[in-house]
Amino acid sequence: MAEPGTVQEVVRVQPADVAVDPAVAGLIYLEARLADEARYSEWESLWADDGLYWVPMHPGDDPEVTLSYIYDNRRRIKSRVAQLNTGTRHSQTPPSVMRRTISNLEVVARDEDTTTVASNFALYEYRYAMTVWAGRYVHRVQLTDAGPLLVAKTVHLVNAGGALPTMSFLI
Amino acid sequence: MTVTAAPVSRPHDVTALVEPDRVHGAVYTSPEVFELEMKRIFREGWVFVAHESEVPEKGDYVTRRIGGEPMVVARGKDGVVRVLANRCTHRGNRLCNAEKGNSSSFRCPYHGWTFGNDGKLVGVPMRDGYGDRLNAVREELGLVQAPRQESYGGFVFASLAPTGISLLEHLGNATKAIDRLLDLSPTREIQLSAGWMKHHNNCNWKMVMENNVDGYHALFTHASVYDAVRPAKVSHVPSKVEVLVRDLGNGHSEIDYEPEYTRLDEEFIWYGRLPREKAPEYVAAMEAAHGPAKAHQALVSGPPHTLIFPNLFLAEMNVMTVEPLNAGETIAFTAPVLIPGAPEINTKTLRRTEGAMGPAGFLIADDGEIGQRNQMGLAAQDPEWVVLSRGSDTDVDDETGRVNHDKSAETPQRGWWKHWAGVLAGSRG
Repeated sequence: MAEPGTVQEVVRVQPADVAVDPAVAGLIYLEARLADEARYSEWESLWADDGLYWVPMHPGDDPEVTLSYIYDNRRRIKSRVAQLNTGTRHSQTPPSVMRRTISNLEVVARDEDTTTVASNFALYEYRYAMTVWAGRYVHRVQLTDAGPLLVAKTVHLVNAGGALPTMSFLI
Repeated sequence: MTVTAAPVSRPHDVTALVEPDRVHGAVYTSPEVFELEMKRIFREGWVFVAHESEVPEKGDYVTRRIGGEPMVVARGKDGVVRVLANRCTHRGNRLCNAEKGNSSSFRCPYHGWTFGNDGKLVGVPMRDGYGDRLNAVREELGLVQAPRQESYGGFVFASLAPTGISLLEHLGNATKAIDRLLDLSPTREIQLSAGWMKHHNNCNWKMVMENNVDGYHALFTHASVYDAVRPAKVSHVPSKVEVLVRDLGNGHSEIDYEPEYTRLDEEFIWYGRLPREKAPEYVAAMEAAHGPAKAHQALVSGPPHTLIFPNLFLAEMNVMTVEPLNAGETIAFTAPVLIPGAPEINTKTLRRTEGAMGPAGFLIADDGEIGQRNQMGLAAQDPEWVVLSRGSDTDVDDETGRVNHDKSAETPQRGWWKHWAGVLAGSRG
C-alpha cells in the first residue's frame, strides 16, 4: 500500500475511440428506429447473409455450451421477422410502442471493411405499462458496395441475470 | 357522497371453487387462495427444487426458493446433496447471495458466522462472548435442512413438512415420464447445466403450468409459428392424429405423442425430424447402451410432455419450473436437457430451446401474453366460472390413468384441479 500523500504509479487507459464512421453510425441509428417502429422487413434488410443476433444471459457466456435468450442466425432472423409479420404474434399484436436512445458510441475494433461499435442504450417500451430496458449493444457493421450491412448485434441486458418480461419485439 | 370500493377479499371454501368440469375464477386471482397454496402445496407437499447435475462437484451450490423461502442446494464435502434454508441461524441474514457457485463453506458477512457446505456451524467469531451458552446449542445452530428430501432420476424434490407421503407415492405414474426422458440418454443421465431462462409472467402460476398440457390452444395461440415458420411436428387437429391426453393421477398429466410417433414409426419427429445420419455418435451410443431395437423405440417415442404437480414440467427436451410470486405474477424457469457425451445433439438442443422457449421464444412469448390477458379477463367477476368440460364424456380409464384420445380434451386440467382441491382441503399430497 502506498504511503499517504505519495502518488502511485498507475497505468493510464486511453480515451475511447469515438471516430465512428457516419455510415456506420447511420446504420446503427436506422436499425434502432426500424426496430422501434416495428418495420420488421425493412429491419431484416439491414442484415448481412451471415448475420448473428445474440442476447446472452451473462456477459462472457459461450453460446456453444450456455443457453442464451436469443441466438438467431440469419435463417432464424428471417423466421423471427416472418412470425412478427403475420399479425398474430400475440405478444406483439399490436406492436409495443417503443423508443430507444443509443449513446456512448465507441469503436472497439476495426479492420478493412468491418467496424465493431459498442454503445449504451435505454429502451422505453409501452404495452400495458411502461417497461424500461437498458444495456450495452455491440454492433459489427460491414461496409460493402451495396452500403453498410449488419453482421452481428449482441445485446447485453443489464437485467439479463434476472427474470425478463416478455421480449418478443426486436430488442 | 363518495363511494369507496373496498377490495374484494373473501375467505374461500376451496372445495367449493372446484367442480368436476369447471373451476371458479378465484382460484387464479384470490390472495387468500394463493397463501393457502403456498402452505399446503409448496411448503407441505413435494416440490421440485433442482437437478443433481446442477451441482456435479463437491462444494457446488445453487440458490432457489420454495414457496417464497430462500434455499441453498449444496453438494457437501461428503458428496451428499442437501436442500438447506438460506438463512444465517444467528440473525437471519440471507447467507448465500449468488445464483450458483462452489464453496466449501458459507460465511455470513454480517457477523462472520461460518457454516460448512453440509450445513454445520463451523465458526463463530469471538466465541468467548457467548460464555457457555453457545456450546449448549451449537449443534442446533446448523443451517436448517428441508425436513424431507428425495430424488428420482436426479430430480431433487423437497418438502418443508416433516411428515407426509413418500416421493414415490407422490410421483405415482409420473415416474414413467422421467424414465422416458432418461431413456434418451445412453448413460440414463441428463444434464441441466446450460442455465435457466427466467421469464416473468403476469399471470397466476397455475395458468403457466396448466397451459403446458393444454392440447387445445396451439392452433390458435401459436398459429403465427405454423403459418410463417414451420408446420407443427404433427398436426394439432385432433382428428388427424393419435395423440392422447392423460390424467396420470395426483395432479400429474401429459400430452402423449408416442402413439402417433409409433404409428408413423419414425425417429426424431420430436427433434425437428432430424435424420439419424446427422447425429451418428449419439445414435451409436444409444444402440451400444440399449441395443438397436430399444434404441430405435426410444428415438421414435421421444421425450415426455408431462406436467408433474405442482411445479415441474418435462417439456420434451426442456425442463420448466415455476416460482409463484403472488396470485398474479410468476417466474417461469426453463433449461434445456443435455445428454452427457452427445455434443452434436446438445448444441442443437440449446438452439431449439432458444427458438421455442423463454421471453423471446417463438412459442412461449405468446403463451406469456395470453396468460397475462387471461389474468386481466378474470378481473371480470361475472361469469364466475371457467369451463373445463371438453371431452368429459369421452374420457376412458385404463391402467395408465384417465385417457382421452382427443388431444384437445381438457382431461389434464380436470385431473390437476381435482388433486389441487384435495390438497388445499388438507389431504396431504
